[in-house]
Amino acid sequence: MSKAQAEQPVLANKEAKLFRELLSHYEEKHLTKGRKTADQILKKHPNHGETLAMKGLILVHLGQREEGKKMVKQGAMLNMKSHIPWHVQALIHKGEKDYDGALRAYKNGLKADKDNINILRDACFLLTHLRKYDELVEYRHRFLQLRPVNRTHWIGLAVAHHLNGNLAEAKNILEWYDKFLKSTPDYDADNSERLLYHVRVLEELGENTEALAFLDKYAQSRYIVHRTSTMEYRARLTTKLKSSDAPDAWRVLIEQNSDCWDYYKGFLSVESIDYDSITDENRAAALKHLNNFSQQYPRATAPRRMALSVATGDDFTNLATAYLSSNIQKGVPSLFVDVKPLYTDPAKAQSIQSIVEKLLEAHNTPPAPPPAENGSASAEPTARLWALYFLAQHHSHLGAYSTALELLDAAMAHTPTLPELYMARARVLKRVGDPYGAARVMNEARLLDGQDRYLNTKCGKYRLRAGLVSEAGEVFGMFTKKDAVSPGADLEEMQSLLYLREEGDAHYRAGRLSQALKKYYAVSNVFDQVENDQYDFHPYSLRRTLLNVYVNTLKWEDSVRSHPAYRHAAVSAARIWVSVYDDPKLAEGPAASDSATSGSDSVKKAKSKAAKKAAQTPAATEKNGTANAQQQNTNEDKGLEPPQAKDEDPEGARLIREERPLERAQKLLAPLWADVARGVWDVETCAVAYDVAVRRERYLEAARALARARSIDAEHPEVHVRTVELKLKVQSLSAPAVSETALAALVESLATALPDELSLETFNSQYLQRHAADGGAVLGAARAARVLQAPLAEVEETVFSALQDGVALKIETALAALAFLRSIESSRADEFRAACDARFELATVFKAPEELERLRKESLGEPVEVKEETLE
Amino acid sequence: MNIRPARVDDLPGMQACNQQNLPENYTMKYYLYHSLSWPSISYVAEDHKGRIVGYILAKMEEESEQQEDRHGHVTSISVLRSYRRLGLAKKLMIQSQEAMTRIYRAKFVSLHVRKSNRAALSLYRDTLGFTVKKVESKYYADGEDAYAMELSLSQ
Repeated sequence: MSKAQAEQPVLANKEAKLFRELLSHYEEKHLTKGRKTADQILKKHPNHGETLAMKGLILVHLGQREEGKKMVKQGAMLNMKSHIPWHVQALIHKGEKDYDGALRAYKNGLKADKDNINILRDACFLLTHLRKYDELVEYRHRFLQLRPVNRTHWIGLAVAHHLNGNLAEAKNILEWYDKFLKSTPDYDADNSERLLYHVRVLEELGENTEALAFLDKYAQSRYIVHRTSTMEYRARLTTKLKSSDAPDAWRVLIEQNSDCWDYYKGFLSVESIDYDSITDENRAAALKHLNNFSQQYPRATAPRRMALSVATGDDFTNLATAYLSSNIQKGVPSLFVDVKPLYTDPAKAQSIQSIVEKLLEAHNTPPAPPPAENGSASAEPTARLWALYFLAQHHSHLGAYSTALELLDAAMAHTPTLPELYMARARVLKRVGDPYGAARVMNEARLLDGQDRYLNTKCGKYRLRAGLVSEAGEVFGMFTKKDAVSPGADLEEMQSLLYLREEGDAHYRAGRLSQALKKYYAVSNVFDQVENDQYDFHPYSLRRTLLNVYVNTLKWEDSVRSHPAYRHAAVSAARIWVSVYDDPKLAEGPAASDSATSGSDSVKKAKSKAAKKAAQTPAATEKNGTANAQQQNTNEDKGLEPPQAKDEDPEGARLIREERPLERAQKLLAPLWADVARGVWDVETCAVAYDVAVRRERYLEAARALARARSIDAEHPEVHVRTVELKLKVQSLSAPAVSETALAALVESLATALPDELSLETFNSQYLQRHAADGGAVLGAARAARVLQAPLAEVEETVFSALQDGVALKIETALAALAFLRSIESSRADEFRAACDARFELATVFKAPEELERLRKESLGEPVEVKEETLE
Repeated sequence: MNIRPARVDDLPGMQACNQQNLPENYTMKYYLYHSLSWPSISYVAEDHKGRIVGYILAKMEEESEQQEDRHGHVTSISVLRSYRRLGLAKKLMIQSQEAMTRIYRAKFVSLHVRKSNRAALSLYRDTLGFTVKKVESKYYADGEDAYAMELSLSQ
């Protein structure tokens, strides 16, 4: 026992009473009273650890965070035997989202008071949050022993076993619970959820018969009231059990929701038909079933659409004719997107084209006369219009862009006011490499229906693609909150991944690396928030026994960063960190850019306005967007969460100069490694993981990343370039820098891809020969030649060979090639640009820089001609 | 389009769909709150790639002890512009209403709409059968009034 603890004063009756008052003041959040009471005690016993801790906690609530925390720590040092200072520390850590720290503090608290119920409860939530399921089971056991009559604790233990992978024990506990539960209300939604969770545990255990019996028993007695869930369980279980009830179980579901594909698939599976891989043997049977359902449910689209995937030949033509013509009559804008998956079968694509062409001919009447002079009504879009629209998308999909544009011209001549046509045109322009034209046309679409946020979002996105960052903000700002610092700030607060990603990319493309980095970190921050969000539900879900969705939520949170937006942001940011590591000058960036959303007076004004706005918790406020007036009063509770600090570095200028860029990249990429197990892992991610590892001199890690990339696509140019690079690296390494065993492993990892007897130059030229008709690979070979220090002229020659006839060269690849030539300071870069400009006729991205500036400005221009037509 | 009950892993897609379409947006926690409190009354429409193209986000108003006041509330419903004219909003609404009635014995369903949002008003009134019960003055953060609309669920 330490000296300090030995000296802890024993409170006299009066002070002991005051201390109890202090605790209850805190419970009731009478903070100023609590502080006064604490001071009274401290006057007499300035070293009373528990009181100091409580006062510190109250100070944190009152906004004096640093002072409060110091006091709490002091309190803990003075009295390590009491759980109170530890409990208080844990609460503060939790408020700061330092869950590990909170758990450590609680564990110390339990050393002082091993049966403290409050600490045990919170520790359980932390253990769940931190996915320490082994310990969770242990803690839940202790908890239950202390409080065996509380039903929540039984549920808590069952869920803990489930999470820990012990389904059998989860089942046992649930059964126990069921037995001693005296009376349960029927027709109670929460109780029904608990029973459905029991069914799920049985199903996961593979005890399907038992699960079905349990389900039927409680559904019949109306304890389980979730009808759709019940029917879904029933259908799945009877199918697994090969019960004769199975077909009807699926039929009931189809009756309930005839637009759910899963139900039809389930029904077919009972008939031994796997919808996702139809064979010639079962095709006719599948089609018969789907046709029957189509007749039975005339308003359902699912069976009709599914039949199109199954049918072939004349069956297909007949069904497709009916499907396409009715949707074109109705003017369904999504029709093309809907049938596009059928295009994997070229015969079906061809058939669809001729069907719609015939429909077009049938409606080939001259354009409707212009509407009456009063201009009140525009002609109702007709089948002809939608057929043209469909065919335009069809040809665009097949790469016939000029045809697509002509069809859209015809459609616009027919009806100049339909935003869908403009959106389609913008999409074609985007594909042919004209982001400026695309942005202009998307803006025209937006002007046709200013109330529609969908068109607004598209327009903003297309402006970002054209590099018009502040102009995109102006458009977005028409729908964002007026009191926000900026449109972007509101979109960021609302966690718009689309906006953050697109603006990050726009900055990246323009070389404003710091601002790009800032946006990519904002994406990562959204995922931090979502991970933190689950905390409040640990107590909530157990109490209400809403367990299926709770367990699903925990599992979903485990892999929430496999979202494409996170991966894109992490990979892009890692690339930036790698570039900055290679060339620290990049961190200085271009001089403050004109299109950045910074510094202006109005922005500053709005900022101070918004700073007064309180942070909102959506779960607590009914209407999101109801701003609470921020209290200036220092005696008010500010909670345990630190206030959001003002962003002193809105453009990332400081961020990008942070030390240890590679470690930062590594940290962003780390969550993606978990995706390997799930098999979602692409060459780009592996490539940047390699880039980071090799620079950190983690050669084995680099080799592993490269091997993984190779397993996805061994001939990918990114793999090729890095194979050459790593081989060079390995040749330069020797024993002191890297261990013999590591070196041997490295050599071995490369051996299969690159035999030792082969020179790297030969390896590269063989690669080029193998892929001479693939633009991407040609660029890869050029980059590898550069790594091998080939003469500049040779590297340039290789890049230019991508322009030869017969080489498949995509616009993005050509842009990358141009960027590569510029990066190696090739004098032929402009020659390459001009050649691309000639080759990609409709593209504008290869125009000269001055021209690009003009195009960018033009893309903002009011669409004078179109507008006149429209508004008349 | 495939119509099915919403799952937790649909929430980012629903949030993205909402942000693209509507002026009233919410952070993820609010979606989680709906899903974790009333897991069976929100629905989604998805395309063949699993992209969420429409959704209904719903909750129950359960504070009242009165059976007659038990009702569902549509926090948000929308369908991406390019997936309109398929009747998705109606199909989503019907599934959600059915679940509200079955599971929670809801008597009616309510929602709010901006007074100026004519397109949405017409969807709720003409297509889905809601009626305006009252005007809630300054309901929205920017000071705009809302129509409080209701639809009876008793058969």
